[in-house]
Amino acid sequence: MNPEFIDRYSRLDSPVHKLPVGSKIVAALVLVLGVALWPAVPWQLFGAVGALLLALMLLSQIPPRFLLRRLLIAEPFALSIAALALFQPGGWHIFLVMLTKSTLCLAAMILLTATTPFTDLLAALRRARIPVVFVTTLALLYRYLFVLADESSRMRRARLSRSFAEHRAHQWRALATVAGQLFIRASGRAERIFAAMSARGWEQK
Amino acid sequence: MHIPDGFLDAKTALTTGVLAAAGLGVALRRVRETLPPQRLPLLGLAAAFIFVAQMLNFPVGGGTSGHLVGGALAAILLGPAAAVVALGAVIILQCLLFNDGGVTALGANLFNMAVVTPITAWLVFQPLTRFIGRRTAVALAAWSSIVLAAIICAGELAWSGRVAWRLVLPAMGGIHALIGLGEAFITTLVLGAIAAARPELLEANAPIRRREVIGWGLLVALGVVLFIAPFACPWPDGLEKVAARLGFEHHAANMLHAPLSDYAVPGLKSEKLGTILAGIIGTLAVFVLAWATVRLVGRKNAEN
Amino acid sequence: MTNAIEVKNLRYRYPDGSEALRGVSFSVGAGERVALIGPNGAGKSTLLLHLNGLLPERAMENSAVQIAGDAVTPANFSKVRKNVGFLFQDPEDQLFCPTVFEDVAFGPRQFGLHGAELAAKVGAALAQVGLTGYENRPPHHLSRGEKRRVCLAGVLVCSPAVLALDEPTTDLDPRGRRELKALLRELPAAQIIATHDLELVVEHCSRAILFDRGAIIADGPPATLLADEPLMLAHGLERPHILSHHHPHSKT
Repeated sequence: MNPEFIDRYSRLDSPVHKLPVGSKIVAALVLVLGVALWPAVPWQLFGAVGALLLALMLLSQIPPRFLLRRLLIAEPFALSIAALALFQPGGWHIFLVMLTKSTLCLAAMILLTATTPFTDLLAALRRARIPVVFVTTLALLYRYLFVLADESSRMRRARLSRSFAEHRAHQWRALATVAGQLFIRASGRAERIFAAMSARGWEQK
Repeated sequence: MHIPDGFLDAKTALTTGVLAAAGLGVALRRVRETLPPQRLPLLGLAAAFIFVAQMLNFPVGGGTSGHLVGGALAAILLGPAAAVVALGAVIILQCLLFNDGGVTALGANLFNMAVVTPITAWLVFQPLTRFIGRRTAVALAAWSSIVLAAIICAGELAWSGRVAWRLVLPAMGGIHALIGLGEAFITTLVLGAIAAARPELLEANAPIRRREVIGWGLLVALGVVLFIAPFACPWPDGLEKVAARLGFEHHAANMLHAPLSDYAVPGLKSEKLGTILAGIIGTLAVFVLAWATVRLVGRKNAEN
Repeated sequence: MTNAIEVKNLRYRYPDGSEALRGVSFSVGAGERVALIGPNGAGKSTLLLHLNGLLPERAMENSAVQIAGDAVTPANFSKVRKNVGFLFQDPEDQLFCPTVFEDVAFGPRQFGLHGAELAAKVGAALAQVGLTGYENRPPHHLSRGEKRRVCLAGVLVCSPAVLALDEPTTDLDPRGRRELKALLRELPAAQIIATHDLELVVEHCSRAILFDRGAIIADGPPATLLADEPLMLAHGLERPHILSHHHPHSKT
C-alpha cells in the first residue's frame, strides 16, 4: 500500500475539514466509545449513527470510493474473527453485532482521520500531555515513513531489475537484504538528523 | 492481529489499557534514563523502518505472501525499552492514520504487539543465544513472540464474551503458529543481513539491569495470567462465575452460560491443540522465571 | 572587525584512527563568500562540521576554531550554533519536523522564542525564501528545491553571521539552482560553501579554497584557481566551461 494515499484528502476545504480539531476528536471518541462499549444493542440508534456518518461523509467532499477503499482495507481481520462467532449458539446475533459495531466505529475514525491532517492530531497529543519523547518519536515516524517507503521501493526495484525468475529462497534473501539495508540507512539517517537538530541549538534537557 | 472496535467489552478494554499504559510508561522512563541523546532520533527512524519493513511482501506461493510483524527484530536491534516505544508509535500511527485497529482496542493492540511481542522475543533471545547459537535463538524468539501475542489476543476476545475460547484459540493460535514460522525465517534473514554488513549496530545497546528484566517478565506474565490462565486452567467454571458476578454484557453472560463443551468445531481438534499450546506457554513462562532466578543468584554470587 | 571564521592549525582523526584534517588554518572575513572545493573524501564536510562543534567524539577544550570571536567549545555551543547556520547535504535529514512551520520554528524555539514573536519570525523567514503560505505543508509534499529553501529558512530564522553550506546545489534542477543562487546572493552573512558545482564557485564566490587529503592546497580568487587546469586535474576536479566563456582568449 502506498502510504501517500492516506494523506491525500486531509487538507480539503469542506465544512467537516473546517471543524475545530479538538471538538472533532472528542466527538469521534464519544461516538466510538459509546458504540463499541455500550453493552446493549439499540439497533435504531445504530441506524441513526450510521445515517449521521453517511451525511458527514457526503458533506466532506471526499470521493466515496476513497472512503470505501479505506473501509475495505481494514475489514478482513474483523470479518474473519466475527465469522468465528457463527460456530456458536446465538452466533448470528453476535456476528452481526460485532460487524455493525466495528463498521460504525471504523467509519467514524476514517471520517476523522481523512478530514484532519495527522500533524493536527499530533499537536492534540502534545496538548494532551503525552510524554515529549513519545510524541517526538511519533512525529519522526510520520515524517520519515514516506522517505523510507520511497527508499525501500527504489531498492526493491533495483533488486528486481537484476534478477530473473529466481528461486523463492533467493527472493527471500534479496528482500531480507533490502530490509537490512533499510535499517542500516535508517540508523545512519538518525545520526545525521541528530547532527541537524544539534546544529539548530537542540540540547536534551 | 489488529483488533477492531466493537470486539472487546469494557472490562477488557480497560484492563488492556492499563497494562499497555504501564508497559509504555516504564519503557519511556527507561529510554529517558538510559538512551544517549544522539540515539533519540533512532527511535522514530526505527519505528518508520518497522512500518516500512511490514509492507515488504515475502512470496509464500499460491499467490499469497507473508510479511514481517517486527517485534523480535525491534527488540534485538534496540533492546526492550526502546523496542516497546518504537513499536508503540507504530501501533498508534496505524490506528490514527491508517485506521488499522480500533480506538477502544488500542490498549489491547498496544499490549499484544508493542509489549508482549518484543518483550517475549527479548526474554527468549537473551538467554538462548548463549546456549544454542544466535540464529536459532532469533528464530525461536520470533516464533514464540508471535504465538504468545496471538494467544493473548485470543484470550482477550474470549474474555470479552464475543467468541468462545475453544473457537478463537485454535483459530488464532493455529494461524499464528504458521505466521510465526514466516516471522522466524524473515527475522533471522534480516538480522543476518544487518550482522553481515554492520555488526556493530547489533551491539550498540546499553546493558540492562536485572530489575528491569524481572519487571518486563512480570508484565508479560500478568497478561498470561489475566487472559490465558482462566481458560487454560482445568476449572472452566471460574470465568463463568466471574462474569456472572461482575454482570457485564448480558449477551456475553448468555453465551458463557451455554454449555461450552457442546461446541463442535468441524475439522479442528481444538482441545488437543489447546493443550499443546498451553503446554508451550507454560514452558515459556517457567523458562523465563528460571532464567531470571539464575541470573539473580549468579549476580549475587559474583558481587559477593 | 573580528573575522567571521578563524581556524588555526585544526587537526582531527576519525574514530578509526585515520587522519581527516592535518593542521588546517584559514580565516573568513565578515560577509565574505568562500568556496571549499576538492575531490570526494577530501575532508570538506568534516571541516564544516567543526565550525559548530558537531563531532561529538572530539575533545573541544583547546579548540582551534573561532566563530565571530567565540571559541567553539561546549560552553559556547549555544551561542556558536545560533551564529552558524548549517545547511546539510540532504534536505531530508534537515527537515525532521512534520510541518514546514514546525521545522522553521525549531531553531528559534531552542533559543527560547515562542508565541506571536516566533510566528512572526517564521513568517519573515519563509517570505525571505519565497515560501509564504507553506506553513502547514508536510515536507513530503514539497519539491526538492522547495525542501532546500525550507531548510534555508530554518537557518536564516536565527539570523546567523556565518552560513556553512554542504553541497547546496546537488540534486536541484536548473530552475531550483537558479533560485537558490539568487537567494544566497541577497544574504549578508559570511558563506562557506563545500561544493562540486564549479559554476556556483565562479559566479557566486569571491574566493576558493582547494582542499585535498585534509589539507589546504591552494587559496585564491576562483577565476585564477579554477583556470589552472593541471592543478584542477591533479585534485579530481576540472576547469569549468564557464571560464572559457568569460575569458575567450585565455590558453586552452
